[in-house]
Amino acid sequence: MRVLCLLKQVCEPESLFDLQEGRPVLRPPARWKMSSYDEYALEAALALKDARPDTEVTALSLGPARCEAVLERALGMGADRAVRLDDLDETIARPLAVASAVAAWAEGQGFDLILAGVMSDDAMQGAVGPMLAELLGLPLATGAVELALAEDAKSLTAQREMEGGRRQEVTLPLPALATINSGPARPRYPTLSKLLKAKETAPLVIDPTAPAPPLEAVREYRLPVKTRAGLMLSGDIQAKASRLLDLLRERALL
Amino acid sequence: MSLAGKPLVVAVAEHGPEGLAPVSLELAACARELAQALGGEARLLVLGDGVEPLASEAARLSGLTVTGLEVPGLTEFSGEAYRALLAELLPAWSPAMVLAAHTTSGLDWAPGLAMRLGVALVSGVEAIEHGESGPLFRRAAWHGKLSELVEAQAEPLVLTVQPGSFPALPPAETPGSVEVLTRELPPCRARVRPGQAPLERDAALGAASVVVAAGRGVGKPENLEPLRRLSALFSNAALAGSRPVCDLGWLGYARQVGLTGATVSPRLYLACGISGARQHTVGMQGSGYIVAINNDPNAAIFNLADVGVVEDLNAFIPALLELAGAGPGREG
Repeated sequence: MRVLCLLKQVCEPESLFDLQEGRPVLRPPARWKMSSYDEYALEAALALKDARPDTEVTALSLGPARCEAVLERALGMGADRAVRLDDLDETIARPLAVASAVAAWAEGQGFDLILAGVMSDDAMQGAVGPMLAELLGLPLATGAVELALAEDAKSLTAQREMEGGRRQEVTLPLPALATINSGPARPRYPTLSKLLKAKETAPLVIDPTAPAPPLEAVREYRLPVKTRAGLMLSGDIQAKASRLLDLLRERALL
Repeated sequence: MSLAGKPLVVAVAEHGPEGLAPVSLELAACARELAQALGGEARLLVLGDGVEPLASEAARLSGLTVTGLEVPGLTEFSGEAYRALLAELLPAWSPAMVLAAHTTSGLDWAPGLAMRLGVALVSGVEAIEHGESGPLFRRAAWHGKLSELVEAQAEPLVLTVQPGSFPALPPAETPGSVEVLTRELPPCRARVRPGQAPLERDAALGAASVVVAAGRGVGKPENLEPLRRLSALFSNAALAGSRPVCDLGWLGYARQVGLTGATVSPRLYLACGISGARQHTVGMQGSGYIVAINNDPNAAIFNLADVGVVEDLNAFIPALLELAGAGPGREG
């Protein structure tokens, strides 16, 4: 069985940035990681491989050379192949463009299953997976927290988690696409031996086909609106703790 | 443009075993706001088997015109069926905008529908700003630390609306009119069945007047101990966690607050090491008084906090306990 797993590289959530001319610019040192839901998707792919050793897992990331760190980690966790769709920062950022670039490459490669995170940590759009399913004409399940492959490997049953924690069971004939939500199956750590091997393996770098032109654009970035007073306490740690206790007592909360 | 020649905004309701989902009325409020901006009308669409009672309830609560799409056999949500039914129905209505909830179900059908109709998708909309050329959509980006203002370059467009962003309006004085159309269930490759019932929520969580909530910033499970002792300072407090903390097994899922967990509105909410992603804040933003403690000065949680403390949680909580006379938390 051939599984493709989409992995986005995102900046660490604690990263600092500056707004320059209405665009965010990361302050060095920039720290990057695999988007957490994608990490859960990769874990789901590797769990399928654990159960069926004839499974081949391909990790795919789209972006500049720095994304290869994510692919290296994926190989270290147990993926078999790594592919990077070469892209300069920000040129392919809209979900439709990403999905169309991935579709153009993946079409005809014979993947039985495509997995992706339910959404990215940073943009939280949740659109790339469903758009890719539409482009490739694949049946889709979003927000899966568990996957089970049928004995004959012809279908996959996903437990979708809906709002408020309700579950739905969806059986998809393969080939299919599922987006993965986080759950109790914690992503494994890379092993040293696999990481060492990964360091010697250059990913396949592909120049993506011209992506679909975007139908929407970000006009500007702003700092979020504060919905409450947001009194930030100052002073040393003792002063802040003391002030917080006073505030809670003043409001009869303590 | 709609049949009546006025721009039409269509919101697609969500519903489950408990009936109409609360987010459906938020979608109605958002649709109404957009329709006003466009000088058009808003309409709700409810799809399902035995849809008439749901459609009537939606019309009564929202005051909007509701179309119930009666689809025999559509007893359980199916993104595939929604995509096919909406792609067939909507072109005849020529809506200016189609609204879905930014939930796992909305995201199952909305992006694919946008592609099928060849129109733009704007995902996770939290607010609307009215520009000269039409509405602009505000959405969270960069882990919630920034707001993007998105402009769609073409109408019609499909929007997914972030739950908790558009407060439901009070029930309408006069219910909207209801029409029911019948359609056949399209053939679907994905077979759907109801799964297990949701977890029992921890009753203490809903009843607590103080909630101490742990996020990823707690770092390790041992660091929950000082938070437990912090909650013991209050007479009616409960310990809760964000989804990542429950995924890690540090707290049971019954104690999860957020989109996929409980929605709480205690008098006091202490957010400890919580970044402030929408998936969490939708479950606690109605709290009376919100205190956020996080070592990242730009964490999104500070935008909805009454009081913010930029400190390492694992140093700050013990200091707080000591000052409160509870003795220092054990260093774990």
